[in-house]
Amino acid sequence: MVNILFYICAVAAIASALGVVSARSPINSVLSLLGTFFSLAVIYLLAGFQFMAAIQILVYGGAIMVLFLFVIMLLNLGNPEQVAQADPLFKPGRATGVALAVSGAALLLGLLAAHALPADHLSPVPAGSGRAMIETLADAIFGKYVLPFEVASVMLLAAAVGVLVLAKRERPGLLDTEAEDNR
Amino acid sequence: MNTILVWLIKVLIIYGGLLGTAALMTLAERKVSAWIQHRKGPNRVGPCGILQPLADGVKLFFKEEVLPAGANRLLFRFAPALTALPAMMTVAVIPFGGELELFGITTKLSIADLDIGVLYILAVGGLGIYGIILGGWASNSKYSLLGGLRASAQMVSYELSMILAIVAVIAVTGSLDLREIAQAQAAFTDWNIWRQPLACGLFVVTMFAETNRHPFDFAECEPELVGGFHTEYSSMKFGLYFLGEYSAMVVMACLATTLFLGGWSVPFVPEAHWLLGLAAFMAKTACFLFLYIWVRWTLPRLRFDQLMGLGWKVMLPLALLNLFITGALLSLTGA
Repeated sequence: MVNILFYICAVAAIASALGVVSARSPINSVLSLLGTFFSLAVIYLLAGFQFMAAIQILVYGGAIMVLFLFVIMLLNLGNPEQVAQADPLFKPGRATGVALAVSGAALLLGLLAAHALPADHLSPVPAGSGRAMIETLADAIFGKYVLPFEVASVMLLAAAVGVLVLAKRERPGLLDTEAEDNR
Repeated sequence: MNTILVWLIKVLIIYGGLLGTAALMTLAERKVSAWIQHRKGPNRVGPCGILQPLADGVKLFFKEEVLPAGANRLLFRFAPALTALPAMMTVAVIPFGGELELFGITTKLSIADLDIGVLYILAVGGLGIYGIILGGWASNSKYSLLGGLRASAQMVSYELSMILAIVAVIAVTGSLDLREIAQAQAAFTDWNIWRQPLACGLFVVTMFAETNRHPFDFAECEPELVGGFHTEYSSMKFGLYFLGEYSAMVVMACLATTLFLGGWSVPFVPEAHWLLGLAAFMAKTACFLFLYIWVRWTLPRLRFDQLMGLGWKVMLPLALLNLFITGALLSLTGA
């Protein structure tokens, strides 16, 4: 039963993660990301980490995604395809991006595989108080799995830099609109 | 078998109670507003207008449903449920009373006792905002969009202060379990409203913001935004939004009772009968619900910049200060 639920959630998490990067409309991307977070929260619950599941929903589902929606709705970006096609660097940039993303994912997976997940990784965490559970979690993240954890954070940082580059408007264009406003 | 039956009965009673209270709140809102404004209020349907919510519900079911042109069909239909569902899910962890024995079966008056009850309520309850944001966006109307935008900005600003206020209570009690928090306040003098007065005040203010109630109902704001996020909604979808809002109010009142007023503890009556405890819980919750209505018909709405200023420049520093003092006192007394 737990196994079946785990695989359903895992497939849902991966499918909605693919939806995040492939969806045309930013709102759909955000909703897919929300789907990923929920699937992950259920997986945490299945593993017995109630605390992690609640924090996942509270921080990512409740606060960060609301902020994302706010920004997207406020900016009301135009058709992303048109913006992208106009850029001469679009095609080579996309190829490089895909290559980098794939190699990053391979690195992450390789590191995780090297640490060989224990066979009982689906069984509930040993019973204990909430504090013991959180200590187990901290030991795992900052002890045994510290390298995959740091690689994942570097990938997140790369995504943040990428967003900055994408969102940055050309200076002349900015000046034009300012001049129009002043007229 | 017996445990499943007991559990099923508890679920039916608690959810029935929540929906019934939410429906009665719509009547209470109109009755109290009439009382405050020296009017009579609804008094035609049933004795003293008691059947008015039922009549409203039937009316909403038979209204025409309108799908605005250019609306996102899926999200437009889905959004009202997204507001109503989390509000109803959160009531599952509220402890309405201590242990009771009935027909030889001992049980506790709550659907589920989670170790992380407080976090569960914050996490799931916070999702209700998606219904408002997405409903506003999917309607393809500028008024709705503005309502949704305001709701999201307000939510992010005030949830922070609310969580920090609750963290101070958790620090005092040392538990995330709502039942344990309530049990720690068994004596009248131990109520958290005395031990954490600032947190209580902050929680009550943010409670209004989190449920989008006056004076913070900027998602709706009818003088500027027609109807805000629900401008384009009609029929039972509109009804679902209202059901969600009133259910969230009831759950928030229950949470405030549990966190600050000692839950089911009866003042000066230790070891009270469970029926008396339940009555005490409901009476305390009713006080908070009355406060909701009282404030709505007394205070004018803020301006949006005032709302943001209050959230970030007053509520958040106060919540941080309260947490700092609580932590300092706790570490000094070695508790």
